[in-house]
Amino acid sequence: MQPEQAQISDVELLAAIARKDETALAELYDRYRVILFGLLIRILTSREEAEDVLQEVFLQVWRRAADFDEQRGRPFTWLVTLARSRGIDRLRSLAAKERVALAGAKEPAEQVSDAVADALASERRTLVTKALAQLPEEQKSPLILAYFDGLTQSEIAAKLGAPLGTVKTRMRAGLMKLREALSNQSASFGF
Amino acid sequence: MSHEDYKEMIPAHALSALDWTDDRALTDHVAQCVECRQELNEWQQTAAAVALSASPAEPSLLVRERILTQIRSERDESITPKIVPIKPLQKNIWSSFGSLGAVAAAVLFVFLLVYVFLLWRENRAIRQEVETLRQANQKVQEDLKWARLLQTPGSKLMELNGTPAAPGASAKLAYDQSGHAMVMMNGLPTPPAGKEYQLWFIVADKPPMRGKTFSTDSHGKGMMEDQLPDVALKSAAFAVTLEPQGGSASPTMPMYLRS
Repeated sequence: MQPEQAQISDVELLAAIARKDETALAELYDRYRVILFGLLIRILTSREEAEDVLQEVFLQVWRRAADFDEQRGRPFTWLVTLARSRGIDRLRSLAAKERVALAGAKEPAEQVSDAVADALASERRTLVTKALAQLPEEQKSPLILAYFDGLTQSEIAAKLGAPLGTVKTRMRAGLMKLREALSNQSASFGF
Repeated sequence: MSHEDYKEMIPAHALSALDWTDDRALTDHVAQCVECRQELNEWQQTAAAVALSASPAEPSLLVRERILTQIRSERDESITPKIVPIKPLQKNIWSSFGSLGAVAAAVLFVFLLVYVFLLWRENRAIRQEVETLRQANQKVQEDLKWARLLQTPGSKLMELNGTPAAPGASAKLAYDQSGHAMVMMNGLPTPPAGKEYQLWFIVADKPPMRGKTFSTDSHGKGMMEDQLPDVALKSAAFAVTLEPQGGSASPTMPMYLRS
């Protein structure tokens, strides 16, 4: 895998999608479906909901590719931000009762093929996983609750039984450590 | 809130974890602050990396197909001219029901119009009848008063005759010992605008004393009550003149009636 080349290609793909090139969208989908679907399953804990939202995300990419601004971030960041935002919106729209039911019937993620798994077992993923694992639990928990559960700082404080100020400090500290851990690799891995 | 305060909030904003008020304030600030906007972009890239910690998963093949089908459909819609052919009018059972409904609605509308008109006419007739009854009742009350006054011991009855100004006019004036008087007029001409009739008490060696003003109906009839001055109780003559609205302190116009 050549991350730098892929990065350039992603920008070109988005430009082609903005011109309504269907093949470009298919290529972008093939490139990111596994990462984004994994993210959506982690948020929604339901394959059915995650597939529905994944479809919405790529339809949004098709309609809004022209809005992508390379100066404001990389395609990976744009796609992940879109997917997470849609996923959190869906999560919040589900009734609390339904959420409980979904959590109870949590479906395991379908095993990915070896080839895909190999590709995803890249140093990027390893690096992030390792960086998160090294965070103290009190810093990691607020990050995870905010990122995957869509909770606000007040909601996290209530859930953890911690003062709001403490949660703010820990969340900021955790993200700063993650940033430091990834910064050395940013040029190479596209963070 | 200072620029530094906003900068501290940016990492949480990148995680969409700010509470609504802070989120709104920071969004407004970032829209104006280039430095914060740049910093937010950087933090968003860090936050996006967290997505990689989720276990990768393969969606079903159907998702890809659904996406491609949907975008083809949207693309086709965008290039297909939206010309709606004009279909010939076709009669079917539903349109027949529609026509029947329209006819029924029209009939109902006309029926309602007629019904409203009849109600309005009936209402007007009742109002007129009520007014007639009110006037009749008033006349009866006046006649009763007149009869009681005449039955009062010591009461007197005077007749007033029309002058050349109103040859067909006449009146009767009755009063009791307390000076309570009633006048019943008949045949007086309708006073012109701004004028009305006024009663006068005339006692020898005194200027005419003013009485009340009054108006008549379209038949020249009228009734009024007044109080005679004490000096007029024993011996007085009575007259009616036409005066400006509100009456005069002394007669200014010719007499229409006199005793």
